[in-house]
Amino acid sequence: MMRSIAYVGVAAVWAVCAWVLAGSVVPDLSLPGVDVDAVFGRELVDRAEGYERFLYVVWFLAQVVLIATLAVYARYGARFAKESAAGPIGTGMLLGMLGLAIVWLTLLPFSIAALWWERRHDVSEVGYLEWIFGDWLALGGTFIAVCLALLVVMALARWLGSWWWIPGAVVFSAIALALVFVGPYLTTGLERTADQELQQTYDRYGRAQGVDDIPLRVEEVSGDTSQANAYAFGVGPSARIVLWDTLLDGRFSDEEVNVVLAHELGHHSSDHLLEAIAWFGLFALPGSLALMAATRRRGGMGEPAAVPIALLVTAVVQLALAPAQNVVSRHMEREADWKALETTRDPGAARGLFEEFSSTSLGDPSPPRWAYLFLQSHPTLAQRVAMADAWETRTARP
Amino acid sequence: MRLVVTDDLARHRLTVFFRLLLALPHLVWLTLFGLAASTLAFVVWLAVLFEGTPPRTLHGFLVSYVRYSTHVTAYLCLAAGPYPGFTGSSDYPVDVEIGPPIRQGRLGAAFRLVLAIPAFLLSSTLAGSVALGAGFGVASLFLVGGLAITVGFLGWFAALVLGRMPRGMRDAGAYACGYAAQVTSYAFLVTDQYPDSTPGRLLRAPALPSHPVTIRVDDGLRRPRLLVAFRLPLAIPHFFWLALWLVPATLAALVGWLVTLVRGRMPSPLHRFLAAYVRYAAHVTAFAYMVGRPFPGFVGREGSYPIDTPIEPPGRQHRLGVLVRIVLALPSLVVYQAYAIVLYAVAVLGWFASLATGRMPSGVRDLGAAAIRYQSQLGAYLLLLTPRYPDSSPVLAGSPEREAEHAAEAALAA
Repeated sequence: MMRSIAYVGVAAVWAVCAWVLAGSVVPDLSLPGVDVDAVFGRELVDRAEGYERFLYVVWFLAQVVLIATLAVYARYGARFAKESAAGPIGTGMLLGMLGLAIVWLTLLPFSIAALWWERRHDVSEVGYLEWIFGDWLALGGTFIAVCLALLVVMALARWLGSWWWIPGAVVFSAIALALVFVGPYLTTGLERTADQELQQTYDRYGRAQGVDDIPLRVEEVSGDTSQANAYAFGVGPSARIVLWDTLLDGRFSDEEVNVVLAHELGHHSSDHLLEAIAWFGLFALPGSLALMAATRRRGGMGEPAAVPIALLVTAVVQLALAPAQNVVSRHMEREADWKALETTRDPGAARGLFEEFSSTSLGDPSPPRWAYLFLQSHPTLAQRVAMADAWETRTARP
Repeated sequence: MRLVVTDDLARHRLTVFFRLLLALPHLVWLTLFGLAASTLAFVVWLAVLFEGTPPRTLHGFLVSYVRYSTHVTAYLCLAAGPYPGFTGSSDYPVDVEIGPPIRQGRLGAAFRLVLAIPAFLLSSTLAGSVALGAGFGVASLFLVGGLAITVGFLGWFAALVLGRMPRGMRDAGAYACGYAAQVTSYAFLVTDQYPDSTPGRLLRAPALPSHPVTIRVDDGLRRPRLLVAFRLPLAIPHFFWLALWLVPATLAALVGWLVTLVRGRMPSPLHRFLAAYVRYAAHVTAFAYMVGRPFPGFVGREGSYPIDTPIEPPGRQHRLGVLVRIVLALPSLVVYQAYAIVLYAVAVLGWFASLATGRMPSGVRDLGAAAIRYQSQLGAYLLLLTPRYPDSSPVLAGSPEREAEHAAEAALAA
């Protein structure tokens, strides 16, 4: 009885938090339909669709192999426990890292196929060996994250038994917040911009959005990729906005770059980073509950033997929750787009930017429904163009 | 093949002071000898390919060359005292005994130089340029590196002051010379036995004198390939943890230094904490460098890992030694750098071998364990866990007979 009440209570709190977080500054727009052929050009749309189609197939096959691999590992992985002299939690860490290592190995052909495809279309310029070796070393960073997560989960599970998942979600959110905070301080290779005009525009937009103390940085990636991108990261004093140098190589007009600046500032002025962490905590709750339930037969998450099955459950839950997570992400991106339009008041530049994105990144302006659900963390390019049109129509109205 | 060390550690200061200059004629002669030996080795290679056995005369010439290069290397790195002869046929305090020519497998002979590459790599970290035989004579003057050259450099100062070569350094130099001799013999088809780096197999009854920090090797040689392939990423969380642990360990060492300076004894709680840190570093090094098989724990508990370094409880220490500990440790830090390079070679060779065969070569594993033992002894010395200086011999464990010998040696020196 107590257990049921507790579950209902947690579910109620979850629903209230989700409702609060789901609020938006974007007015209820009925986005006009966009003729993608007319906006982006038939040839580009065909090219982008062909490009994305291959990546969709690779992604689908990789997911099948991932789940199959983890299923086999869940069955036999606990045997590796004899390779550890590290006690139960350390052994759990080893099993977690080995699971990821096996996944990395089995997914390697798919990653190489995707890289080959990107190189073939001049989207990436990274060499195969460089990529494999770099990715192999980057596994070390992933391993640290997994070790930390398992340390938290296993220590809580050994202490609190089957109720670990509630404080576990809270601790995960706290760790995520800490990582988001320190991330900018640990990231190297970010330079100040030498373009005074760009900096002045950025400062003006920052004041307009009420976030005038966030530094602007430029990251050099042109040796690895031709894709253009920008991102906002950090919270509070560590907040930063970073532009890839590929965005400033002349392919995009100044006005288009300004839209990007205003968009990224929109993330900070809307507190999207904190919002994302809150959503992360909300998603972590059912995820942790699923982990707890699935590993009960192997003694719970306090036992190292439960770790292989926990990896499988995590992968399945992540896949299952991907559409919901993408809904949240698209919601925030839409807000940032809207703020960019409100700040720049230049829908033509926004349209130009999205059209250019389709060309430089070969993004499908109107992807298939299933890909939209599982893979699109941003609104489609067609939707973004439609929003620019809607904003223009709305402001033109007397 | 056997390394014979009859050296008595005594060194004449004058010949030590001018050692490099005195060796110049040998280096010139070694170059010429090396050129002739290389040419004849090619003839021997053809002979083995067709006949299966090296011609006795040519074998004798190459044996002389291997012995001579060993004598010169030992002389240069101060592993021996007397001026060597020029023929490689006379007895020398650091010498190798090589048997008569034997039948050799043609396939192994055909690819001998390729097969010898791993041994060359390891040898270059042990004996530096001299390893590549000493065949390069004068060239070795311009190249540095390797354990033998490091101990030779440090031993030069020690021998000048003491008139004796420190035993650990002599043993390290002799061991490196012995391994280089094995590699040269293998490459020149004097023998078909692959060089064995097991510490203690070359030197007669090698052993450490008793030391408060020892190493215990209870590990097998099998290595699961999955753990081998991802060894470095798997070790990264441990590196991370080790780096975090370094902060309190440094603070504890500072406090321990002050307290030991006053009381002449490290407080037990600090000793336990710092000993756990030294052991943990040994466990992580063993895992990361392929010397140990299982994934280590995170607390450095004694007996928790098959490559373990037990550390004795705290004892009294001279305050003066405590005061200038970091200065006293400088030479051993230099030796440790040489051992660290050896460890890299051990890791690289062990990684490829384990990935290919699922087993770690025992000689490479034991050499790595010896390097870890030195690292732990140095760590314990620096962190004031023991007043005993690290022993640079590349050996693993002590034996009662040798301990008696060492005690007698020490008494004689006193």
